[in-house]
Formats: sequence, C-alpha cells, structure tokens
Amino acid sequence: MRTRTWAPYALIAPTLLLMVVFLLYPIASVGWFSLRQHTVTQPWKNGFIGFENFRRMLFDDPLFWQSLVFSAKWVVVEVGLQLVLGLVLALIVNETFVGRALARSLVFSPWAVSGVLTTGIWILLYNPSTGIFQQLAQWGIGDPGTSVLGDPATVFPATVVTELWRGVPFFAILLLADLQTIPNDLYEAASVDGAGRWRRFVSVTLPHLRDAIVLSTLLRAVWEFNNVDLIYTLTGGGPANQTTTLPLYVARKAVDSHDFGYGSALTMAGFVILLFFSILYLRLSKFGSRA
Amino acid sequence: MKRLLVALALVLGGCSAGQGGPTTITFWDNNGGPGRTPIYQELIKRFEAANPDVKVEYVGIPSSSVQQKYDTAIAGGSTPDVGGVTTSYLAHLVGQGALEPADDRLDSGPLKGKLLPGLLETVRQTAPDGKLYAVPASGNMDVIWYRSDRFAENQIAEPATWDDLVAAATKLTRPAENQYGFTIRGGAGSVFQLLSEAYSYSGIDKFYDGGRSTVADPRNAELVRKVAEMYKKATPEADVNNSYTQMVAQFTGGTVAMMHHNLGSTADVMKALGPERVSAMPLPKGPSGKRTVVPNPTDGFAVFKGGKNQEAAWKFVEFLTSAESNGYWNEKVGQIPANTEVRGAEWIQNNPAVKMALGVLEDPATVLVPAPVYLPEYSSITKTDTEPLYQKVLLGQMSAQEFLDQLAAKLTTAQQDWEKRK
Repeated sequence: MRTRTWAPYALIAPTLLLMVVFLLYPIASVGWFSLRQHTVTQPWKNGFIGFENFRRMLFDDPLFWQSLVFSAKWVVVEVGLQLVLGLVLALIVNETFVGRALARSLVFSPWAVSGVLTTGIWILLYNPSTGIFQQLAQWGIGDPGTSVLGDPATVFPATVVTELWRGVPFFAILLLADLQTIPNDLYEAASVDGAGRWRRFVSVTLPHLRDAIVLSTLLRAVWEFNNVDLIYTLTGGGPANQTTTLPLYVARKAVDSHDFGYGSALTMAGFVILLFFSILYLRLSKFGSRA
Repeated sequence: MKRLLVALALVLGGCSAGQGGPTTITFWDNNGGPGRTPIYQELIKRFEAANPDVKVEYVGIPSSSVQQKYDTAIAGGSTPDVGGVTTSYLAHLVGQGALEPADDRLDSGPLKGKLLPGLLETVRQTAPDGKLYAVPASGNMDVIWYRSDRFAENQIAEPATWDDLVAAATKLTRPAENQYGFTIRGGAGSVFQLLSEAYSYSGIDKFYDGGRSTVADPRNAELVRKVAEMYKKATPEADVNNSYTQMVAQFTGGTVAMMHHNLGSTADVMKALGPERVSAMPLPKGPSGKRTVVPNPTDGFAVFKGGKNQEAAWKFVEFLTSAESNGYWNEKVGQIPANTEVRGAEWIQNNPAVKMALGVLEDPATVLVPAPVYLPEYSSITKTDTEPLYQKVLLGQMSAQEFLDQLAAKLTTAQQDWEKRK
C-alpha cells in the first residue's frame, strides 16, 4: 500500500524539482528583491522597504509608463504585421510551383539568424555613409547622411522592419505546417459547392488555422514583449528613450545602474502583465476547445 | 571563457600554493583586447623571468563589461589577486569593501615618492576614507584629435577657443561629399565628455560650490547649446547614437575632421591616419580665457582582499609600476606615465600628443576640476539617467538648461548623501 502512495510523487519529483529550481525560486527571488532597496554600488542602503519601489514606479517614474506604452505599441505592430505577412508567405509557399523547395528555405532562413546578428546586418544596411540610404541619396532620393536610427521620426519603423525580417518566418513555418494538415477533400467539396478562392480561404483555411494562429500570436506577443537583444543592440532604446521597452528599461536599471531592487519591481510589473494577458487571451480565444 | 574558468578555479581553490611549486596569481586586464593584451603579455613574461617563483594568469576583460564582471566576482567571492581599475568605478569597488589599501605598501616599498602626486590625489579622492586603493599607472587627458592635413588645405589655424572650433567645423562640413567638421558623442559615454567640454569652456573651477553642483551654471549651458547647435549642421546626423566605436570609425574613416576623445585613442587614431595627418590639441578655452581641465579617469592596479598570495600580488603591482615597465607600457599606449622617473624618456619628446598633454597639466595656470567620480551613483547618473536627456537636447526636445538642471539636482543629492556618510 505504501509504495502506491509515494510512487506517483517520486515520478513527478524530477519535474517538480526542475520547476522549483528554474521557475518558482527565480520568481520568488525577484518578488523578494522588489520589496527591497538593493543597489550593488551602495550596499549600506540595502534593506527591506516594503512597496516603496512600486510606489516610485507607478507615481514617480514617467519612463516606466513611457516604456510600457512603447512595449504595447511594439507588440501590437510587430505581432500584427508578422501574422499577416507570415500568413501570406505560408499561403504562397504552400502552392505548387517550380522552385518551391528553394523558395521555402529562403523564406525560413532569417529565422535561423540570431537577434544580435540580425542587428549587425541591418546596422550595415542603415549605415548613413555606406548603407542603402547613401545609395538612394546618390540616385537623388533623400538627403546624404540620412540616419534612420538617429531620427526620432524614422527610428520606430526602421526597428520594426528589422524585427519583421526575422519574425515573419516564424509565423510562416508554423502556419505552413498547419496548412498542410488540411485535408484536400475539404477544398474539393467546397469547390463542388461553388466556393471561389476567397470563400475557400475564409471558410476552410482560416477556421482550420485558428488554434495555430492563437498559439503563435500568443507566443510571439510574449516574446516580442520581452524582446531585448535586437532593440538593445540596434538602438540601445534610443535616441532619447524613443525605443525603450519595459524589459530594456529593466536591463538599464538593473544591469547598468546596478539597482536590482527597482529592476525587480519593474520585472514584477512585466510578469503580472504577461500573466494576465496570457490568461485572458486564452480564455477569450477559447483555445483548444474546438474538439 | 576558459581562461575565466581557470581563473575562477584557481581563486576558489586557494591557488594551490603548495610548498616548493610556483605561486600563481590572477591578473584581470580591465580593457583587454588586441591593443593592450600583447603589451601585458610581454610585461608578464619579463616579470616571470625575474620572479621564477610566481606565475601570472592573465585574463583580458572588455572595458564595457568590466564593472559588471568585478561586481559579479565580488558577490561570488571569485575576485582576482590583482586587477586593472580606473577611477571611474574605483569608488564602486571600495564601497563593496573589495580592495586592500596600498598606502603602507607604497610607503615602505620601492615606489615611495616616485608616483605623480596629482594622479595619487585623483585615486585617493575616490575613497571616503582618503586611502589609496589603487596604484596609479597612467594618466590621461581629454584632447581634440583633428585632421591637420585638412586644416592646412583649408588654411584654418588650430582652434584656440570654442567659437574658433565651431567656425572651423562649419567650414569643413560638406554633406554632399560626406564630409563633416566635428563629431558629437551622443550615445554611450556622452555626458562624461560633455562635462569636460562644458568646464573647459566655462572656466568654472569647482564641481561643487557649498555642496551644490555647479553643472547647471548658465556658462556651462551656453557650451551645451553651442555643441547642440552644431548637430546636423557640422556633424553627421548619426551622431546622436554615437558611442566611442562609431565616433572613432567616423574619424579614422575620414568622414569627420575633429573628434573629442582622450589620449586613450592614440593607438587607433595613429594606426589609421598617421602623425602626418592628425594632431591633438587640448579642449579649447571659453570667453573667460582660463584653462580649466576635468581630469580624465586615472588607470591603475588594485590588489583584492581575500587573495591568498598578497605578497606576490604586491610584487607584481610594484613591477608593473616600476620605471621600466611603466615607461614601456605608456609608450605603447601613448598615455602619461605615473612613474616620474619616466618623464625624461626620449619617446615622450617624440610623441607630440603626450608632450602637449604634459605641458597642459604641468602649466601652473591650468586648474584641475576633478569630476565627483567618487560618488557611487556617478556612473548611473551620468549614463543611465542623463544620456537619453542629452539626446533630447541634440534632437531639440529639451533645452540645454533644463537638461543641466536635472543633472545638477541629481549630483547635488548624491553629494549630500556622500557627505553624510563620510
């Protein structure tokens, strides 16, 4: 009898242990730090300060709100555009045509490039003395020396394009995989019933893709919210904080200024926002309820 | 990474200082890279030849992440025996109680009375107890590197005042040919440099007046405005994001004719352009006509607490700052040697930039205005907090005065905290 009571627990113990070590402990530790003043450079000030960090964040720090608003804008624009363009690409490479295999690998290749490397490529493309805008200026389009990353009016679109280049293939891969599971009979039946291309797309393809779209947009929204590598290396959150997302602000506060207490409070804010967003999104989209 | 692991293992393992075998000490170079690593490797070879009982494990750390590496090492108890440090983050390390004071060692050792008093002073100022937590090795000074060839072609004289500089920069700017007169450091490290420019212009000789920061003085604001007005008119548009790397690439690549940095870029600049095309001048004066200089951070060596081989560590530091090593080092990097015995060396006479800097620093009319690098918050105030604000000034989203007011308020609060603690 006894073995029966502990055996299941022993079996899930490794998973539980990993979750405790890699999930619960870090979350609890950040939670604890968020209630403390903890600055590496001023250890004599360290100590428990209750909700002071959160008070400062909510009422005394305009940059927190600015970075939050920018994060929201970033996530909506990026995920929206990536979904639409990814779907278009997936539909194209799902068709049969000569050179499809090559087209598929080309479509997916940017996804294999790391964020920092992507930045490296695009910084060269945007370089005011040697990049595409210098070339355009020589052809008489625009001014010489145009720096899209230095101009507050163009830095956002320039950053969005860079991340799109890398992010679109993710949607394309995921949606293509799901597209290929749609039975051909459905399309044939629809055609027989007189459905045109558009009607088949709206009534067969899209409903079938629903779960894949919900899951990929959710994943991507969380990733884009947490995107640090690309923006950090491309613009550093600048100029003048124009492209500072919440996680980037955390990195600046905690890593650069060594203010781990306040950095932890900012992280908790991001954590809570993402948690509620995920729950709400899955509820509203009734994910997995199709069966 | 592997070297780091080795270093870590050595420190954690107490450096296997068994009887008979050689003692191993770890040395962290705070600005490791192709420029400096070979010079240190040569010095270590010489040291090991002279001291067969000590082995030195060299670890080169990029200067951009060195502060973080030290912090992590202190938190984890894996600090090196000897570390390269500069006064810009020395207060950090002292505040965490990580370093051994060097005063007694210096007084009883071969270096007594041989190091430049001015450099010793800048190091002492970083510690609240006034002790010496690093042995200075190199002094540095802010300079304007300029293309002497282009100045000659356009018959422009070396600018003596800021207004001359602005006029020269404007004259040398031809956007259609991708030519600009000046480059502004608008990204990482911008405020450090801007403050040197502001105080050289305003002639204000103190950072604090009665505990209040003088940064927001209207004369400083005037300079910030003058610099901001050059943005996009006499500088590339990309300057707003410039860190050292982009700035030096523009200068050595031939796009800009003047760049404000310090003697630390000598090697990069000379290698790319050569002494026939580039010269160094001090930061220009302002209307006051006074020569006020914000000293650049001093580079030196610190011995960490908790190392098991303190004797060997000090021996190594004394070796590195001896006249011979210190001369060799500073000749290679083109900086001001801390050891006064090097002053007469021939290479100094042949290095116009170092000679010029020494001339300025030793001129009795020069007033040094040390920045409060001893404040533990100095780095976060002048980087994270205010660099984006300076970008706003360049982009015309904030006035120079408003920006300096915010900076001054933070510096005043930090100074008051510091006074209280002292």
